[in-house]
Amino acid sequence: MLKDWKLHIIVLFFVLIGEAIGVKQFNLGVGTIALFPMLYVLLMGGVVSFPKLKLMNEVQMKRAAGILGISFLLFVAKLGSMLGPSLPKIFDAGVSLAVQEVGHVLGTIIIGLPIALLIGMKREAIGATFSIDREPNLAIISEKYGADSPEGRGALGVYICGTVFGAIYLAILAGFLGSLGIFHPISLAMGAGVGSGSMMAAASGALAVTFPNDAEDIALFAAAANLISTILGTYLCVFFSLPVTARLYEWLEPKIGRTRKEGAK
Amino acid sequence: MLEKTKVLVLIGVIAILGNWVGYGVSPVQALPGMLLIVLFTVIGLGLNKLIPKMPAVVWISLIALIATTPIFPGNEWIVAKTAEINFMALATPILAYAGLSLGKDLESFKKLGWRIVVISLVVYTGTFLFATLFAEIVFKLQGRF
Repeated sequence: MLKDWKLHIIVLFFVLIGEAIGVKQFNLGVGTIALFPMLYVLLMGGVVSFPKLKLMNEVQMKRAAGILGISFLLFVAKLGSMLGPSLPKIFDAGVSLAVQEVGHVLGTIIIGLPIALLIGMKREAIGATFSIDREPNLAIISEKYGADSPEGRGALGVYICGTVFGAIYLAILAGFLGSLGIFHPISLAMGAGVGSGSMMAAASGALAVTFPNDAEDIALFAAAANLISTILGTYLCVFFSLPVTARLYEWLEPKIGRTRKEGAK
Repeated sequence: MLEKTKVLVLIGVIAILGNWVGYGVSPVQALPGMLLIVLFTVIGLGLNKLIPKMPAVVWISLIALIATTPIFPGNEWIVAKTAEINFMALATPILAYAGLSLGKDLESFKKLGWRIVVISLVVYTGTFLFATLFAEIVFKLQGRF
């Protein structure tokens, strides 16, 4: 992987430009949009890897995805080093931390499934809404239904969307919701621990920019929530989210499901 | 493992430079902290190889957490050194690699229907919003804020 020196040089270059630009906030009247280095480098990378420009080939992009996984580990170690001195604080918020995980799990299904049915999705809706559809979730759904089943295609679709705009979307959502002043920064930080590396980093970054005085605590609680999602996520998915979503589908589909012109498929 | 360690060191160097430009921490000042962070990661990866049942992410968090708790010898020094690395500076390279890998999914993305794009937005909003809401409700019930 060290052979991919071109990739690393590009990343270094992006990081230096991104950090030099720094934080920018735009006031939309109702709330603010937070822009910060993570988002600039993500966009710059997106432009360079744009297939039409032919600056990078498929193999290099796959390598970049591999290194992304490794680089996230350093971030995890850094967050872990912030957890140690703050354990009393974490335990003090224990009940919230446990309950917010229920929100992470139910949150995809509660509004996702009904809306999916209302806009005319069929069994794809199960795969699309039972979780946030990152790699471990894809494995679970293809084991149960097969990767090429409607359920599998629904999950893969959300996975692809997540890769393409998940981090940017969550950063904007987190920053905007934060600026509205409805929720406490710590609650939002827990919400940011969605269980996906780049999404969690971008969302907690946006919150840290929106609430600079609480930046340390935001990183701390986002990390704790993310850790809970990582540890419990797979089990909850297999034994709770997937069966419950499938049951709810059978119950709700005849009630609010729509027949599409092109037929059931 | 050796290959991974080299990549970790390299990303560490990139983050140290980003930390310098973005947060004004000189590389000399940041180096011990970054070495510690790389060390935690490598130990965590090693433990994950021994006992793969627990994900690498959990092992690494655990190692970094133990090393910075008050029971660990030298924890104050470790906390002070790792604090020199801003967490945002360490996240920026991650997103840069994410961006560079984005193109590989663009073709499949174009083939997706509008429904799945809408639902993915709903799913991300739902998980973020409900977790935030539930945390907030508990804090309110406890009278924290």
